[in-house]
Amino acid sequence: MSLNARLSLVVVAVFVAVVGALALTSAAGRDTPAPVTGDAASELLVRADSHRLAQPDEPEAVFVEFLDFECESCRAAFPAVEQLREDYGDRVEFVVRYFPIPSHANAENAAVAVEAAAQQGAFEAMYARMFQTQAEWGERRESEAGRFRTFAQDLGLDMAAYDAAVADPDTLARVQRDLADGTALGVDGTPTFFLDGERLQPQSYDDLTESLDGALRD
Amino acid sequence: MPSATDVRRPPLPTAAASRRVRLLGAGLVTGSVVGLLASVVLTVEKARLAADPAYVPSCSVNPVLSCGSVMASDQASLLGFPNSVLGLVGFPVVLVAGLLLVARAGLPARAWPVLQLGLLGGVVFVHWLAFQTLYRIGALCPYCLAVWAVTVPMAWYVTVHRWRARSEAGHALARPAAVAVSLHGVLITAWFVGIAALIAQRFWSYWSSLLP
Repeated sequence: MSLNARLSLVVVAVFVAVVGALALTSAAGRDTPAPVTGDAASELLVRADSHRLAQPDEPEAVFVEFLDFECESCRAAFPAVEQLREDYGDRVEFVVRYFPIPSHANAENAAVAVEAAAQQGAFEAMYARMFQTQAEWGERRESEAGRFRTFAQDLGLDMAAYDAAVADPDTLARVQRDLADGTALGVDGTPTFFLDGERLQPQSYDDLTESLDGALRD
Repeated sequence: MPSATDVRRPPLPTAAASRRVRLLGAGLVTGSVVGLLASVVLTVEKARLAADPAYVPSCSVNPVLSCGSVMASDQASLLGFPNSVLGLVGFPVVLVAGLLLVARAGLPARAWPVLQLGLLGGVVFVHWLAFQTLYRIGALCPYCLAVWAVTVPMAWYVTVHRWRARSEAGHALARPAAVAVSLHGVLITAWFVGIAALIAQRFWSYWSSLLP
Protein backbone atom coordinates (compact mmCIF):
# COMPACT_ATOMS: atom_id res chain seq x y z
CA MET A 1 0.00 0.00 0.00
CA SER A 2 1.26 3.47 -0.81
CA LEU A 3 2.29 5.95 1.83
CA ASN A 4 -0.72 8.10 0.90
CA ALA A 5 -3.18 5.28 1.36
CA ARG A 6 -1.63 4.20 4.67
CA LEU A 7 -1.53 7.68 6.18
CA SER A 8 -5.08 8.37 4.95
CA LEU A 9 -6.30 5.23 6.66
CA VAL A 10 -4.61 6.37 9.87
CA VAL A 11 -6.34 9.77 9.65
CA VAL A 12 -9.74 8.14 9.08
CA ALA A 13 -9.17 5.55 11.81
CA VAL A 14 -8.24 8.22 14.36
CA PHE A 15 -11.33 10.23 13.45
CA VAL A 16 -13.65 7.22 13.71
CA ALA A 17 -12.08 6.22 17.02
CA VAL A 18 -12.48 9.72 18.52
CA VAL A 19 -16.08 10.12 17.35
CA GLY A 20 -16.92 6.58 18.49
CA ALA A 21 -15.42 7.17 21.92
CA LEU A 22 -17.31 10.47 22.30
CA ALA A 23 -20.56 8.85 21.18
CA LEU A 24 -20.11 5.96 23.61
CA THR A 25 -19.33 8.21 26.56
CA SER A 26 -22.23 10.56 25.82
CA ALA A 27 -24.60 7.60 25.38
CA ALA A 28 -23.41 6.04 28.63
CA GLY A 29 -23.92 9.29 30.53
CA ARG A 30 -27.46 9.70 29.31
CA ASP A 31 -29.92 7.02 30.29
CA THR A 32 -33.20 7.93 28.69
CA PRO A 33 -35.91 6.50 30.88
CA ALA A 34 -39.08 5.17 29.30
CA PRO A 35 -41.75 7.85 28.89
CA VAL A 36 -43.83 8.41 31.99
CA THR A 37 -47.41 7.23 31.63
CA GLY A 38 -50.57 7.01 33.71
CA ASP A 39 -51.37 9.37 36.59
CA ALA A 40 -47.77 10.53 36.83
CA ALA A 41 -48.06 11.64 33.18
CA SER A 42 -51.18 13.72 33.66
CA GLU A 43 -49.42 15.58 36.46
CA LEU A 44 -46.51 16.35 34.14
CA LEU A 45 -48.75 17.22 31.22
CA VAL A 46 -50.49 20.19 32.79
CA ARG A 47 -49.11 21.99 35.80
CA ALA A 48 -51.16 24.36 37.89
CA ASP A 49 -49.18 27.31 36.51
CA SER A 50 -49.14 26.13 32.88
CA HIS A 51 -50.42 28.74 30.45
CA ARG A 52 -53.89 28.38 29.00
CA LEU A 53 -55.03 29.77 25.67
CA ALA A 54 -58.59 28.75 26.46
CA GLN A 55 -60.02 27.74 29.78
CA PRO A 56 -63.71 26.86 29.78
CA ASP A 57 -65.33 26.51 33.23
CA GLU A 58 -65.96 22.82 32.77
CA PRO A 59 -63.61 21.58 30.07
CA GLU A 60 -64.71 18.39 28.34
CA ALA A 61 -61.22 17.73 27.01
CA VAL A 62 -57.68 19.02 27.53
CA PHE A 63 -55.48 19.83 24.53
CA VAL A 64 -51.78 20.36 25.28
CA GLU A 65 -49.16 21.60 22.84
CA PHE A 66 -45.41 21.42 23.48
CA LEU A 67 -43.93 24.11 21.25
CA ASP A 68 -40.76 25.91 20.32
CA PHE A 69 -41.12 29.52 19.19
CA GLU A 70 -38.27 29.11 16.71
CA CYS A 71 -39.58 25.91 15.14
CA GLU A 72 -40.96 26.31 11.64
CA SER A 73 -43.50 23.50 11.99
CA CYS A 74 -44.79 25.20 15.15
CA ARG A 75 -45.23 28.42 13.22
CA ALA A 76 -47.01 26.44 10.50
CA ALA A 77 -49.28 24.93 13.17
CA PHE A 78 -49.96 28.28 14.84
CA PRO A 79 -52.89 29.37 12.58
CA ALA A 80 -54.37 25.86 12.87
CA VAL A 81 -54.18 25.97 16.66
CA GLU A 82 -55.72 29.46 16.62
CA GLN A 83 -58.59 28.13 14.51
CA LEU A 84 -59.06 25.14 16.83
CA ARG A 85 -59.08 27.44 19.82
CA GLU A 86 -61.75 29.58 18.23
CA ASP A 87 -63.91 26.59 17.29
CA TYR A 88 -63.42 24.46 20.40
CA GLY A 89 -62.25 26.92 23.06
CA ASP A 90 -65.70 26.97 24.73
CA ARG A 91 -65.52 23.25 25.48
CA VAL A 92 -61.83 22.31 25.37
CA GLU A 93 -59.03 23.58 27.57
CA PHE A 94 -55.97 24.63 25.47
CA VAL A 95 -52.64 24.46 27.28
CA VAL A 96 -49.24 25.61 25.98
CA ARG A 97 -45.97 24.16 27.27
CA TYR A 98 -42.51 25.45 26.34
CA PHE A 99 -40.20 23.02 24.60
CA PRO A 100 -37.21 25.06 23.38
CA ILE A 101 -35.04 22.75 21.28
CA PRO A 102 -31.32 23.23 22.03
CA SER A 103 -30.30 23.47 18.36
CA HIS A 104 -32.45 26.59 17.97
CA ALA A 105 -30.26 29.40 19.23
CA ASN A 106 -33.10 31.73 20.21
CA ALA A 107 -35.78 29.25 21.24
CA GLU A 108 -34.90 29.58 24.92
CA ASN A 109 -34.57 33.38 24.74
CA ALA A 110 -37.99 33.52 23.11
CA ALA A 111 -39.58 31.27 25.74
CA VAL A 112 -38.04 33.36 28.54
CA ALA A 113 -39.36 36.54 26.89
CA VAL A 114 -42.85 35.05 26.61
CA GLU A 115 -42.69 33.85 30.21
CA ALA A 116 -41.58 37.32 31.36
CA ALA A 117 -44.53 38.84 29.48
CA ALA A 118 -46.82 36.19 30.96
CA GLN A 119 -45.94 37.43 34.42
CA GLN A 120 -47.68 40.66 33.40
CA GLY A 121 -50.65 38.83 31.94
CA ALA A 122 -49.46 39.18 28.35
CA PHE A 123 -48.76 35.53 27.59
CA GLU A 124 -51.17 35.29 24.70
CA ALA A 125 -50.09 38.52 22.99
CA MET A 126 -46.40 37.66 23.25
CA TYR A 127 -46.99 34.07 22.14
CA ALA A 128 -48.80 35.25 19.01
CA ARG A 129 -46.18 37.91 18.35
CA MET A 130 -43.38 35.33 18.40
CA PHE A 131 -44.94 33.22 15.68
CA GLN A 132 -46.05 36.20 13.60
CA THR A 133 -42.46 37.51 13.52
CA GLN A 134 -40.57 34.20 13.50
CA ALA A 135 -39.46 34.60 9.87
CA GLU A 136 -37.62 37.81 10.85
CA TRP A 137 -35.55 36.36 13.68
CA GLY A 138 -35.60 32.56 13.34
CA GLU A 139 -32.56 30.44 12.49
CA ARG A 140 -30.00 33.04 13.53
CA ARG A 141 -27.07 32.29 15.75
CA GLU A 142 -26.89 35.67 17.52
CA SER A 143 -29.10 36.47 20.50
CA GLU A 144 -32.40 38.09 19.52
CA ALA A 145 -33.27 39.00 23.12
CA GLY A 146 -33.08 42.70 22.22
CA ARG A 147 -35.71 42.25 19.53
CA PHE A 148 -37.95 40.35 21.95
CA ARG A 149 -37.63 43.25 24.38
CA THR A 150 -39.02 45.60 21.72
CA PHE A 151 -42.04 43.28 21.40
CA ALA A 152 -42.66 43.73 25.13
CA GLN A 153 -42.31 47.49 24.68
CA ASP A 154 -44.83 47.46 21.84
CA LEU A 155 -47.26 45.59 24.08
CA GLY A 156 -46.95 48.42 26.61
CA LEU A 157 -45.52 46.21 29.35
CA ASP A 158 -43.81 47.56 32.45
CA MET A 159 -40.26 47.33 31.13
CA ALA A 160 -38.52 47.41 34.52
CA ALA A 161 -40.57 44.41 35.58
CA TYR A 162 -39.99 42.73 32.20
CA ASP A 163 -36.20 43.19 32.41
CA ALA A 164 -36.19 41.91 35.98
CA ALA A 165 -38.20 38.85 34.97
CA VAL A 166 -35.91 38.08 32.00
CA ALA A 167 -32.87 38.35 34.27
CA ASP A 168 -34.48 36.31 37.06
CA PRO A 169 -33.13 32.73 37.01
CA ASP A 170 -36.57 31.53 38.16
CA THR A 171 -38.03 32.54 34.78
CA LEU A 172 -35.53 30.37 32.95
CA ALA A 173 -36.10 27.58 35.46
CA ARG A 174 -39.83 27.76 34.74
CA VAL A 175 -39.12 27.30 31.00
CA GLN A 176 -36.70 24.48 31.68
CA ARG A 177 -39.22 22.70 33.88
CA ASP A 178 -41.64 22.61 30.96
CA LEU A 179 -38.85 21.19 28.83
CA ALA A 180 -38.05 18.57 31.47
CA ASP A 181 -41.74 17.62 31.79
CA GLY A 182 -41.95 17.18 28.03
CA THR A 183 -38.79 15.11 27.92
CA ALA A 184 -40.13 12.87 30.68
CA LEU A 185 -43.32 12.43 28.66
CA GLY A 186 -41.29 11.30 25.66
CA VAL A 187 -41.60 14.52 23.66
CA ASP A 188 -38.69 14.61 21.23
CA GLY A 189 -39.76 17.22 18.71
CA THR A 190 -42.13 20.10 18.23
CA PRO A 191 -44.96 20.66 17.93
CA THR A 192 -46.16 17.70 19.99
CA PHE A 193 -49.86 17.57 20.82
CA PHE A 194 -51.60 15.67 23.59
CA LEU A 195 -55.35 15.30 23.84
CA ASP A 196 -56.60 14.04 27.21
CA GLY A 197 -53.13 12.63 27.89
CA GLU A 198 -52.88 10.82 24.59
CA ARG A 199 -50.24 11.84 22.10
CA LEU A 200 -51.62 12.85 18.71
CA GLN A 201 -49.81 12.26 15.41
CA PRO A 202 -51.81 14.54 13.11
CA GLN A 203 -50.93 14.56 9.42
CA SER A 204 -53.38 17.32 8.60
CA TYR A 205 -55.71 19.86 10.14
CA ASP A 206 -58.63 17.48 9.67
CA ASP A 207 -56.85 14.88 11.80
CA LEU A 208 -56.81 17.41 14.66
CA THR A 209 -60.51 18.28 14.36
CA GLU A 210 -61.37 14.60 14.10
CA SER A 211 -59.49 13.85 17.32
CA LEU A 212 -61.16 16.76 19.08
CA ASP A 213 -64.63 15.80 17.81
CA GLY A 214 -63.97 12.25 18.96
CA ALA A 215 -62.94 13.40 22.44
CA LEU A 216 -66.06 15.57 22.73
CA ARG A 217 -68.35 12.70 21.71
CA ASP A 218 -67.07 10.37 24.42
CA MET B 1 15.81 24.30 -36.33
CA PRO B 2 14.63 24.39 -32.72
CA SER B 3 12.68 27.45 -31.73
CA ALA B 4 12.19 28.82 -28.24
CA THR B 5 8.84 27.04 -27.93
CA ASP B 6 10.41 23.71 -28.78
CA VAL B 7 12.83 24.09 -25.93
CA ARG B 8 10.03 24.72 -23.44
CA ARG B 9 7.92 21.83 -24.60
CA PRO B 10 7.67 19.27 -21.77
CA PRO B 11 9.34 15.92 -22.29
CA LEU B 12 7.19 13.16 -23.77
CA PRO B 13 4.90 11.77 -21.10
CA THR B 14 5.86 8.49 -19.56
CA ALA B 15 3.34 5.65 -19.38
CA ALA B 16 2.75 6.37 -15.70
CA ALA B 17 2.15 10.07 -16.34
CA SER B 18 -0.28 9.36 -19.15
CA ARG B 19 -2.17 6.92 -16.94
CA ARG B 20 -2.36 9.58 -14.23
CA VAL B 21 -3.78 12.12 -16.68
CA ARG B 22 -6.49 9.69 -17.79
CA LEU B 23 -7.25 8.93 -14.14
CA LEU B 24 -7.57 12.66 -13.48
CA GLY B 25 -9.91 12.85 -16.49
CA ALA B 26 -12.04 10.02 -15.14
CA GLY B 27 -12.18 11.76 -11.76
CA LEU B 28 -13.25 15.03 -13.38
CA VAL B 29 -15.94 13.23 -15.41
CA THR B 30 -17.33 11.45 -12.33
CA GLY B 31 -17.16 14.51 -10.10
CA SER B 32 -18.70 16.87 -12.62
CA VAL B 33 -21.55 14.47 -13.42
CA VAL B 34 -22.34 14.17 -9.68
CA GLY B 35 -22.08 17.94 -9.28
CA LEU B 36 -24.23 18.56 -12.35
CA LEU B 37 -26.94 16.16 -11.18
CA ALA B 38 -26.97 17.80 -7.74
CA SER B 39 -27.22 21.25 -9.35
CA VAL B 40 -30.12 20.13 -11.55
CA VAL B 41 -32.02 18.70 -8.57
CA LEU B 42 -31.34 21.80 -6.48
CA THR B 43 -32.50 24.13 -9.25
CA VAL B 44 -35.69 22.13 -9.82
CA GLU B 45 -36.45 21.86 -6.10
CA LYS B 46 -35.80 25.55 -5.61
CA ALA B 47 -38.22 26.38 -8.43
CA ARG B 48 -40.88 24.12 -6.88
CA LEU B 49 -40.31 25.71 -3.49
CA ALA B 50 -40.68 29.16 -5.05
CA ALA B 51 -43.96 28.14 -6.71
CA ASP B 52 -45.35 26.58 -3.53
CA PRO B 53 -43.90 27.72 -0.18
CA ALA B 54 -45.49 24.70 1.51
CA TYR B 55 -43.62 22.29 -0.80
CA VAL B 56 -41.37 19.89 1.12
CA PRO B 57 -38.23 19.15 -0.95
CA SER B 58 -37.17 15.53 -1.43
CA CYS B 59 -34.09 16.12 0.68
CA SER B 60 -35.83 17.43 3.81
CA VAL B 61 -35.31 14.24 5.75
CA ASN B 62 -35.05 15.38 9.36
CA PRO B 63 -34.36 18.59 11.32
CA VAL B 64 -30.66 18.54 10.40
CA LEU B 65 -30.83 17.17 6.87
CA SER B 66 -33.28 19.75 5.64
CA CYS B 67 -32.65 21.48 2.37
CA GLY B 68 -35.97 23.32 2.64
CA SER B 69 -34.60 25.71 5.24
CA VAL B 70 -31.27 25.93 3.40
CA MET B 71 -32.85 26.68 0.02
CA ALA B 72 -35.22 29.23 1.48
CA SER B 73 -32.30 31.22 2.97
CA ASP B 74 -30.87 34.43 1.52
CA GLN B 75 -27.49 32.72 1.21
CA ALA B 76 -28.98 30.26 -1.31
CA SER B 77 -29.13 33.04 -3.90
CA LEU B 78 -25.93 34.97 -3.20
CA LEU B 79 -25.78 36.62 -6.62
CA GLY B 80 -29.52 37.17 -6.93
CA PHE B 81 -30.20 33.86 -8.66
CA PRO B 82 -30.05 30.36 -7.13
CA ASN B 83 -26.44 29.29 -6.46
CA SER B 84 -27.09 26.00 -8.21
CA VAL B 85 -27.20 27.87 -11.55
CA LEU B 86 -23.44 28.36 -11.15
CA GLY B 87 -23.15 24.56 -11.00
CA LEU B 88 -25.29 24.18 -14.11
CA VAL B 89 -22.84 26.41 -15.97
CA GLY B 90 -19.56 25.28 -14.37
CA PHE B 91 -19.81 21.50 -14.11
CA PRO B 92 -20.39 20.92 -17.87
CA VAL B 93 -17.12 22.77 -18.57
CA VAL B 94 -15.30 20.46 -16.16
CA LEU B 95 -17.07 17.49 -17.74
CA VAL B 96 -15.79 18.42 -21.21
CA ALA B 97 -12.25 18.83 -19.86
CA GLY B 98 -12.47 15.45 -18.16
CA LEU B 99 -13.74 13.74 -21.31
CA LEU B 100 -10.89 15.24 -23.36
CA LEU B 101 -8.35 13.92 -20.85
CA VAL B 102 -9.93 10.46 -20.81
CA ALA B 103 -9.82 10.42 -24.62
CA ARG B 104 -6.11 11.32 -24.47
CA ALA B 105 -6.93 14.44 -26.48
CA GLY B 106 -5.13 16.66 -23.99
CA LEU B 107 -6.11 20.18 -23.05
CA PRO B 108 -4.83 23.38 -24.64
CA ALA B 109 -2.09 24.76 -22.39
CA ARG B 110 -4.16 27.83 -21.61
CA ALA B 111 -7.15 25.76 -20.55
CA TRP B 112 -5.33 24.37 -17.49
CA PRO B 113 -5.04 27.62 -15.50
CA VAL B 114 -8.65 28.50 -16.43
CA LEU B 115 -9.86 25.10 -15.24
CA GLN B 116 -7.82 25.37 -12.05
CA LEU B 117 -8.92 28.93 -11.26
CA GLY B 118 -12.56 28.09 -11.93
CA LEU B 119 -12.39 25.10 -9.61
CA LEU B 120 -10.52 27.04 -6.93
CA GLY B 121 -13.23 29.71 -7.13
CA GLY B 122 -15.69 26.88 -6.54
CA VAL B 123 -13.66 25.79 -3.51
CA VAL B 124 -13.80 29.28 -1.98
CA PHE B 125 -17.56 29.44 -2.60
CA VAL B 126 -18.10 25.94 -1.15
CA HIS B 127 -16.34 26.91 2.07
CA TRP B 128 -18.36 30.09 2.41
CA LEU B 129 -21.52 28.02 1.92
CA ALA B 130 -20.28 25.43 4.42
CA PHE B 131 -19.76 28.14 7.04
CA GLN B 132 -23.18 29.65 6.35
CA THR B 133 -25.04 26.37 6.44
CA LEU B 134 -23.28 25.10 9.57
CA TYR B 135 -23.19 28.24 11.70
CA ARG B 136 -25.85 30.59 10.30
CA ILE B 137 -28.62 28.42 8.88
CA GLY B 138 -28.05 25.41 11.10
CA ALA B 139 -29.19 22.73 8.67
CA LEU B 140 -27.56 20.63 5.98
CA CYS B 141 -28.74 19.91 2.47
CA PRO B 142 -27.58 16.58 1.07
CA TYR B 143 -27.29 17.79 -2.54
CA CYS B 144 -25.16 20.72 -1.38
CA LEU B 145 -22.92 18.28 0.50
CA ALA B 146 -22.54 16.32 -2.75
CA VAL B 147 -21.38 19.50 -4.50
CA TRP B 148 -18.81 20.19 -1.75
CA ALA B 149 -17.62 16.59 -1.91
CA VAL B 150 -16.84 16.74 -5.64
CA THR B 151 -15.67 20.34 -6.04
CA VAL B 152 -12.83 20.22 -3.51
CA PRO B 153 -11.20 16.95 -4.71
CA MET B 154 -11.49 18.05 -8.36
CA ALA B 155 -9.82 21.37 -7.61
CA TRP B 156 -7.19 19.63 -5.51
CA TYR B 157 -6.23 17.05 -8.14
CA VAL B 158 -6.12 19.60 -10.96
CA THR B 159 -3.77 21.61 -8.74
CA VAL B 160 -1.66 18.54 -7.92
CA HIS B 161 -1.51 17.69 -11.60
CA ARG B 162 -0.28 21.15 -12.52
CA TRP B 163 2.38 21.12 -9.79
CA ARG B 164 3.50 17.70 -10.87
CA ALA B 165 3.63 18.76 -14.51
CA ARG B 166 5.77 21.76 -13.56
CA SER B 167 8.11 19.58 -11.60
CA GLU B 168 8.33 17.03 -14.43
CA ALA B 169 9.05 19.87 -16.84
CA GLY B 170 12.14 20.58 -14.78
CA HIS B 171 10.91 23.49 -12.66
CA ALA B 172 11.71 23.27 -8.98
CA LEU B 173 8.60 23.28 -6.80
CA ALA B 174 8.40 25.27 -3.61
CA ARG B 175 8.89 22.93 -0.67
CA PRO B 176 5.25 23.06 0.58
CA ALA B 177 3.98 22.25 -2.91
CA ALA B 178 6.39 19.33 -3.24
CA VAL B 179 5.28 17.93 0.11
CA ALA B 180 1.62 18.48 -0.80
CA VAL B 181 2.08 16.60 -4.08
CA SER B 182 3.64 13.62 -2.35
CA LEU B 183 0.94 13.59 0.36
CA HIS B 184 -1.96 14.42 -1.99
CA GLY B 185 -4.17 11.56 -0.75
CA VAL B 186 -3.59 12.29 2.94
CA LEU B 187 -4.42 15.98 2.50
CA ILE B 188 -7.71 15.38 0.70
CA THR B 189 -8.65 12.71 3.26
CA ALA B 190 -7.85 15.18 6.03
CA TRP B 191 -10.17 17.71 4.38
CA PHE B 192 -13.05 15.21 4.28
CA VAL B 193 -12.41 14.22 7.89
CA GLY B 194 -12.25 17.87 8.91
CA ILE B 195 -15.63 18.65 7.32
CA ALA B 196 -17.11 15.50 8.88
CA ALA B 197 -15.75 16.60 12.27
CA LEU B 198 -17.31 20.07 11.94
CA ILE B 199 -20.67 18.53 11.01
CA ALA B 200 -20.45 16.03 13.86
CA GLN B 201 -19.54 18.75 16.36
CA ARG B 202 -22.12 21.27 15.18
CA PHE B 203 -25.08 18.87 15.31
CA TRP B 204 -23.79 16.66 18.13
CA SER B 205 -26.90 17.01 20.26
CA TYR B 206 -29.04 15.93 17.33
CA TRP B 207 -26.86 12.99 16.26
CA SER B 208 -26.63 11.70 19.82
CA SER B 209 -30.42 11.79 20.13
CA LEU B 210 -30.48 9.21 17.32
CA LEU B 211 -28.39 6.77 19.37
CA PRO B 212 -30.33 4.06 21.17
